[in-house]
Amino acid sequence: MIEILSVTGPASIQDLGRFDQYRFGVGTSGAMDDVALRAGNILLGNDENAAGIEIPMMPFSLRFGRDMAFALTGAGVEAEIAGRAVPPWWRSHARAADILNIKAMPHGARLYLAVSGGVDVPIVLGSRSTQFRGEFGGLNGRPLQVGDILPCATSTATIGELGVEPADITLARPNTAADETIVRVIVAGEYDGFDADTQALFWSSSWKITPQSNRYGYRLQGPAVKPKAPIEKRSHGIVPGVIQIPPNGQPIIQMRDAQTSGGYPKIATVIRADLWRLGQARLGSKLRFEQTAYTDALAAEAEMSAYLERLRANVRLVEETRTCR
Amino acid sequence: MPIEITDIERLAQILARSGVDTIEIEEPGLTLKLVVDTAARIAAPATPAAPTTDHFVTAKADVAGHFLAAHPWQDKPFVAPGERIEAGAIVGLVKIGLLYAPVVAPTAGTVDAVIGETGAMVGYGTPIVRIRPFN
Repeated sequence: MIEILSVTGPASIQDLGRFDQYRFGVGTSGAMDDVALRAGNILLGNDENAAGIEIPMMPFSLRFGRDMAFALTGAGVEAEIAGRAVPPWWRSHARAADILNIKAMPHGARLYLAVSGGVDVPIVLGSRSTQFRGEFGGLNGRPLQVGDILPCATSTATIGELGVEPADITLARPNTAADETIVRVIVAGEYDGFDADTQALFWSSSWKITPQSNRYGYRLQGPAVKPKAPIEKRSHGIVPGVIQIPPNGQPIIQMRDAQTSGGYPKIATVIRADLWRLGQARLGSKLRFEQTAYTDALAAEAEMSAYLERLRANVRLVEETRTCR
Repeated sequence: MPIEITDIERLAQILARSGVDTIEIEEPGLTLKLVVDTAARIAAPATPAAPTTDHFVTAKADVAGHFLAAHPWQDKPFVAPGERIEAGAIVGLVKIGLLYAPVVAPTAGTVDAVIGETGAMVGYGTPIVRIRPFN
């Protein structure tokens, strides 16, 4: 078990998501950076869908109730286990009563803590992810609080310390400035409702991610992008990544806790292979959109899968070498 | 597990075939170092051991790859000369494929010198950090 000692902001238990209930209006939830959660689980030899803790703000600390392997992936943080520094994208080992202290997050926006065997909260509607809107899943359907005790699946695996290259480095996008995120998007249903100048403005602008951005959606700030004539649509199905344009012309990107339907015009959709980059984009930082084609979106997805497959193969090789000795 | 003469013969043959000129095997209570006697090695002058070597303990790489003195996301190297470190502290990384394997301090002490250079290829047993042990 794990005891939460201090928490800032809405930390929550997440697995890869709840994908079978969308038709009933239940959103996916799940890790905002699913590549990072997978990497943490790969490092520990877990099922890649094992639940971990998504931590969006520092400081954060917890105490391990027994000897346990854990991994930190996602954001780059200043972390210590029992006083020893833990590098980014790293697996380490805690002894019973050891305290994990996370002090600062100089890189990225969401840290993932994975534990050997996974956080063992009940599966609700096919997932352990916290569903904030419906207040179920995770731990009692809510963000973590000081004093929470998290059950962990038993695992006796003993493993050595090991790190992996962050996805951000392997899958780096060219021409990206330090405090800027570029995501690839495909134009959506109402794109043609905007005139050419407005479309050009959408592509050329550097959008600010406002503080009103969270797991539900990112509200962007920049020049007003408005359609030729007001577009009124009935609510229809939408997915995480959809970029809507409300009447004020300031885009909203739907994220993992978004509603499953909406009526605002959709100008574009962030490709699935770049959603994790949005999950690591910091509040107040800049965001740009790069138009891409469906085939390129599939290629990007293949590139992301290849990175994960290399991680699996590399980590497996280490375990095999260890057992040979 | 005792090493038999036949094992050593077999290892020497493997070394000669593979073009590797040195292998060091360390097990508890046992160290085996095999050097293949190539012409090039004979011509090269033997590296004299530093006279103060016995006062230091060396953190060595235990895998082959590229050495990193700092994590790519961090400006600050893991350790710097003069720094006091605990036994088991991470003093650097060896990058192999997508893996970052830690190089750890075998003993507590003060960092005397960081020998490894970022980006350099290291192998099993390559000295990385020289440590002056406490007392």
